[in-house]
Amino acid sequence: MLDQFKDYLRKHITITDEQFDFISKDIKVKTFEKNKLILSPGETSAKTYFVTEGLLRCYSIDSKGKANVIQFAPELWWLSERNGFFNEPSDFYIDAIESTTALMIPRNYINDSAAHVPCLYDFNNNILNNSIRFMQKRINMLLSATAEERYLDFIKLYPNLTLRVPQWMIASYLGITPESLSRVRKDLAHKHLKA
Amino acid sequence: MSPFFLLDFNAKMEFTASSEPRGVGVHPHRGFETVTLSYHGAIAHEDSAGNKGVIYPGDVQWMTAARGILHKEYHEQEYSKSGGPFQMVQLWVNLPAKDKMSTPKYQSIRQSDLGKHVLAADAGTIEVIAGEYEGTDGPASTFTPLQVYNAKLNPEGEALFNFPTHYHTGFLIIEGEVIINGNHKAAENQFVYFSQDGEKICLKAQLNSIVLILSGEPINEPIAQYGPFLMNRPEEIKQALDDYNQGKFGYLE
Repeated sequence: MLDQFKDYLRKHITITDEQFDFISKDIKVKTFEKNKLILSPGETSAKTYFVTEGLLRCYSIDSKGKANVIQFAPELWWLSERNGFFNEPSDFYIDAIESTTALMIPRNYINDSAAHVPCLYDFNNNILNNSIRFMQKRINMLLSATAEERYLDFIKLYPNLTLRVPQWMIASYLGITPESLSRVRKDLAHKHLKA
Repeated sequence: MSPFFLLDFNAKMEFTASSEPRGVGVHPHRGFETVTLSYHGAIAHEDSAGNKGVIYPGDVQWMTAARGILHKEYHEQEYSKSGGPFQMVQLWVNLPAKDKMSTPKYQSIRQSDLGKHVLAADAGTIEVIAGEYEGTDGPASTFTPLQVYNAKLNPEGEALFNFPTHYHTGFLIIEGEVIINGNHKAAENQFVYFSQDGEKICLKAQLNSIVLILSGEPINEPIAQYGPFLMNRPEEIKQALDDYNQGKFGYLE
């Protein structure tokens, strides 16, 4: 599990085995059974998960009882609930939609590690910037894109989740009804049939 | 066990009555064939090519997914309402590279259409699904040479099989208990995998037995598999995912 994380880091930074072992001693490997609830609203947690196998989901439940998916985290994705970083209780649930193995990375991991591996600072900035960029795009999509545009963007970002996640859950990520998602997929199929 | 890639065996179990049929919702396949054999219970199925039907006990559905199909499989409504024993096998039969992107097709085979070879000495019957047994042909057409039979043997009944040495061969004991080649006992729900060092196999039943006989010429090509896609190269898996997401497998409600 840690090897997958090391391979992932090495795609972005240069790090020796000794450096990696030193900075990774506080990382814990956790396994979650399918459907395990990991975090609930009101709890405070500043943990970051790095998924090595399986699939985590971060979501909220609105006043009408409808689930809204904030993020899916399949293999090699990061997931954290950021209120916890400000010592505030979570607004979100996190659960495992498949049986999942994830690394639990402590809050001060980057700060503590960067003293030994300085390039981790830049790397961390980079992934934070990237996730802000991604969220800006997602906000824009939710405000202005058609159901089809949202779906086409989703399959680019998460190509194999259509096989792993039920349609209603994808619809809940896209901010559309399951019926609209069904219609989008039907329209796409008919376009290809005609072509 | 090429060309057989997977064997999904639902050992016999009782289902309680249910008004909501249990099953598997819409999902895609590409690059191989699914072969579904019902022993107990009935399965309703539907696919994106417009095929629809029920697999009753003894029937076989041979679906060539090839370049892509969407389908769903559920307990048939009447069976679901009444409940009862359920026992089923689904095989994934690989396709050679040249046929992986061929047109999907579908063979619905009723038990009455199976080739039936009645064994001497009241030993039982070999139902031939694909291939040939002692001059009796099976109705299923296949892309590579393979043999699929249900051997239904009476107690003490004996059947002999002769498969080329290089074929991959395996027996699944669906019901009963058998002795193989004189000294190997195999009980219900066990799978017997044969080494490639001979041609002749002797199967003798201890009890009333049903044995699924599988033998086929290996397809010696690279394999890349992800979920419901079985291709030769990782790029083809990526393509399959793209095509599925883009609706190129069609649509099924």
